[in-house]
Amino acid sequence: MLKLPRPPQIEQSKLNMWVDESIWGHRLYDEQTPWLCILEMLCIVQSEAVSGKAFIEEEINKLHYSIYFRLHLRNILFNNPHIEAITTEYIDDVERWDAWMEEMAKSVGGIDSVDFSYLKSRFTSFDNFAEIVKFLQSSAIEGDSNKRWSSKFVFPYGPDCLYEDLRISGSNKTNDRRFFGRTGELAYLMLCRSGRGAEILDYLQKMGIIASEYASNYRGSKWNQLVIALQPDRDRLEKRPSGSPPYLPYASLPEYVSLADDWLSILRCKLPDYDALPHLVTITGLHLVVYLLNRAKAVLQDNQKPRFVLEIVAPKKTNIRDLAANEYETNNNLPKQAIEYYILSTAELPEWQQCLESLSSLDDARDLLEKHFVWQDKSANSPDELLDKLCADAVGRHKQHLAKFHGTWSKEIGLSSRRSSRRTRYAPTDALLKTLVLACVPYRMEFQEFLARLYEKYGFIIGEKQAQSFIDSGDADREDFTANAIRLERRLASIGLLKRLSDACAYVQNPFASEVPNATSN
Amino acid sequence: MKEIMAQSLSYPSSEWVSFLRNYGPIPRNDNMYDETIQRASKRKKIQPPTFETTYCSELIENFQSVAPKSIILTGTAGDGKTYYCRQVWEALGGSPEVWQKEAKNKWHVLTLQDKKLVVVKDLSELTTEEKQTLLPHVAMAIAGKSSDKVFLIAANDGQLVEAWADTEKSADIENVRQVIENLLVEDRREQEGFNVKLYNLSRQSSAIIFPLILDAVLNHSGWACDSCNYQPACPIWENKSRLEGTATDRTARERLTNLLELSELNEMHLPVRQLLLLVSNALLGHPDAKDKLLSCKEIPAILDKGKEPLASLYRNIFGENLGDRKRESTEVFKVLRSFGIGIETSNQIDNILIFGADDPEIQPHYDYLVNSDKYYGANLRYQAQQRSYLEGGGEDNRKGDFLKALQTQRQRLFFTLPNKYTTDLKLWNLTAFQYAGEYLNDVCKALQHEKKLPKIIVIRLVRGLNRIFTGLLVNNENELILATSGSYSQAKISRVYEKFISVAKDRGESVSVELSTNRGKPILVVRFSQDIQPASFYLTVTRYEYLSRVAEGALPSSFSQECYEDVLAFKTQVLKQLRLRRQTEDTEEVEESMSIRLLKVNNDGIASPRTFEVNI
Repeated sequence: MLKLPRPPQIEQSKLNMWVDESIWGHRLYDEQTPWLCILEMLCIVQSEAVSGKAFIEEEINKLHYSIYFRLHLRNILFNNPHIEAITTEYIDDVERWDAWMEEMAKSVGGIDSVDFSYLKSRFTSFDNFAEIVKFLQSSAIEGDSNKRWSSKFVFPYGPDCLYEDLRISGSNKTNDRRFFGRTGELAYLMLCRSGRGAEILDYLQKMGIIASEYASNYRGSKWNQLVIALQPDRDRLEKRPSGSPPYLPYASLPEYVSLADDWLSILRCKLPDYDALPHLVTITGLHLVVYLLNRAKAVLQDNQKPRFVLEIVAPKKTNIRDLAANEYETNNNLPKQAIEYYILSTAELPEWQQCLESLSSLDDARDLLEKHFVWQDKSANSPDELLDKLCADAVGRHKQHLAKFHGTWSKEIGLSSRRSSRRTRYAPTDALLKTLVLACVPYRMEFQEFLARLYEKYGFIIGEKQAQSFIDSGDADREDFTANAIRLERRLASIGLLKRLSDACAYVQNPFASEVPNATSN
Repeated sequence: MKEIMAQSLSYPSSEWVSFLRNYGPIPRNDNMYDETIQRASKRKKIQPPTFETTYCSELIENFQSVAPKSIILTGTAGDGKTYYCRQVWEALGGSPEVWQKEAKNKWHVLTLQDKKLVVVKDLSELTTEEKQTLLPHVAMAIAGKSSDKVFLIAANDGQLVEAWADTEKSADIENVRQVIENLLVEDRREQEGFNVKLYNLSRQSSAIIFPLILDAVLNHSGWACDSCNYQPACPIWENKSRLEGTATDRTARERLTNLLELSELNEMHLPVRQLLLLVSNALLGHPDAKDKLLSCKEIPAILDKGKEPLASLYRNIFGENLGDRKRESTEVFKVLRSFGIGIETSNQIDNILIFGADDPEIQPHYDYLVNSDKYYGANLRYQAQQRSYLEGGGEDNRKGDFLKALQTQRQRLFFTLPNKYTTDLKLWNLTAFQYAGEYLNDVCKALQHEKKLPKIIVIRLVRGLNRIFTGLLVNNENELILATSGSYSQAKISRVYEKFISVAKDRGESVSVELSTNRGKPILVVRFSQDIQPASFYLTVTRYEYLSRVAEGALPSSFSQECYEDVLAFKTQVLKQLRLRRQTEDTEEVEESMSIRLLKVNNDGIASPRTFEVNI
């Protein structure tokens, strides 16, 4: 399968090499958590929806969109420590407004000429205003984290809630790609290339998050209107065009379709309100982790798909815990191994041989490496030394961010855990299990079939049938895995997702099944 | 032979007792359970205890009728599937010898009027080839395509569904497989258009069967203790008498039946085999006996060493006589121990047990409840341990001994505390379910006799639900608060007001506790209007306890994660029905200004909606 051509503007950009990006795209970024990835994606979807191009990639790897700032809203919600004090200190409404606006004028960020007076006509009292603010703060994304205030996000109730992550200093605002690191852009492209975009867009519009028919008089859901109320009219128009486009190496991959299919499975459950969102966040996180490992294995020419031994947490330490920790470690190292292999395998290329045989071997080698990896070096003294230096540089760079992607993301989605253990291992949380049931079980599925499905889709090994290779090699007994599967049964039953008949037969049930013959109450 | 005769003379009940041991937790091959009992019964010439089984007459009637349907018996091991098969076989004229002799046959055939009845006593015993031969015929009979044969098949749930997977596919087989799966999962007896009835023997209530089993054992003709020399002192005799009770005092068996009923209401089913095991162990258990079950000839030695208190009925009920592993792997003890009897307690009760002998204020209680029972209560051993504990300065294992003895006393007290004291001394504080007594008497019994529930119970349940639904410490009791979080359901706190549903009947709305129509168990029902389907929530003992505790101050995420999830799932259901009602009412309010309503909680903990208006 042919990789898409590298974008032409790389040479002018700040990137000092093109290695990680060539394998996984530009880019997957560890500090952008799954929620922030989805938020970035939603910004793009909304922008494209307005121009009728949602999930349609007209030109490969040339994505451009518009994105909003909404700084008044963000200052009110996340840069507003005085509001509580002012509400209690003053009794008269006029005084409260005045005092508050005075305080805000002093500490506001990213706005040139500060004027919050528009709020007075929107809310019947300062107290009302304060309550609404408190309410929106309680449902914010990253609201409790110690991230900078400009990296906190109001819940995405609708189009007027979407904005980009920024760095604010004084009245300056810059997109430093600190937390919107383009992972959302990649996820967006994946959905574009899955061919399922139209149906997904339909559901997102039904949820009220996206609106193709967006104009300045758009109102949307009750919550979107609440967020509109906190913004001056001009903030709803002020946007900027995105910069250089992202790069996703392959035009089509089964991973894109799997991601989209899981999105649709969850959306088809027709969960109430915005309930589907946390599940979409989790499942996207899972798919990107699998994508990371798939691409790494492809580079390493390893045909066996990535696998994850999942320990269903037991009260006492089991063999499974060790195996799960081992697999975690193995997977964690795969991307780095892929990079090393990718670079060092340049030595196998005929062009490299030619360089070695030429008279100006060092220069030729330098040119070759610059051509392939957009990397320059003046210090090495031989082609081999050059290659080693490139490898060391690449690994060093890789370790700063992409090497941490697997660890950070698997923790965020509830796939890995360090609970009661020295080593991190794969141990799914209840929330992840719920998402998996919604994504994999259309209505009702026999338990063993469910385990087989998890293995087929994600490489999850929980029960003995999928663990044959471990049993054969003597790393674990059949009983260990059987007990592991029984624990999963109990976990699922305790969160209401499994119905156990009295003997060996158990059914995993999706409580929001789209096909329900007869809805039985408990 | 002479020795056995001699034994029978000095221990008149010994043959029966020795037979009874077969039902207890002795090491054995469980697959041959029914056969083992049959053989022992023949050998000792003792009739096994018999009692009326729930469905037997129905099954026999079916096969004697003009158009009999095939019957599938399912349930866990020990529910009595093989037993039922044999009963039906013999009732329809089948010969017991044929059944016994040809025990190796996988199925038996009996000729009824114009059909053949094929009885398969255990589907899992069939090889793949045998299933492939048999199942197509079964499918034909059930689908109504053939009428010369009719079937009685016993199978465990899992095997029932799996068995069809191996047979060749045909439209009939696929249809029949789907029907059986539906009947199983949806808990139904039959499906129109198919000649099959599914009897799930796990549905037999152990609370109803247990008294029958108990009587069958206690009244068995094999008891001949009256002519035994060891009679008044013998612990087996002591246990039997206590379990029987007197005309005025049947507390022990009542309490035990209560525990079984509560287990059943908590979806923990105990098959007949486990109940027989319980009775056998209760009567005969002793940690020093062979296989931990007494036999008559061991009695003199036990009495000599003064070890009879260890045969306490009240310990045996919880399997204390057994080793840890055996106990933990025996279903009935796992279920009964889940009540925590022996470990749970209250200050009041422990004061009586520990200080009662010396404290003049509580001494009357101590005398009445503990001292009066010299056999299993305040016997010499207990008094010595109590003394040693109170005087202190003993080694640690002395303290450990007393604490173990204290556990036994708590267990005893649970079964002996007279009904007139259960409220004042809070009997159910001896279990993990403090509200279980109220649940059984004021809820279940009241509902079964169509009486009204005390208002305070519904109020408490509503308060518990409100606290979990909102995540706030609210005290509202006249209305059920429906609130959302404004973002997603998984959020902990829900402040966005949706609706108050009136607890008292009001324009179609109500919150009440009723008996469910299909299983006769208590459910909490929330009604929205005449036309909308109500939302219901099964009140198992655990859920009842959970809601009550949350109402009285426990945090929703403590006590039981499972219950918390259950209540949240119920909340989703309730909100769904509310939306349905809103759709039918079709009240579209076009407002110039937009408003949202958030819950505010006042100083008394009463939540009420406050409207916030916004103009854009």
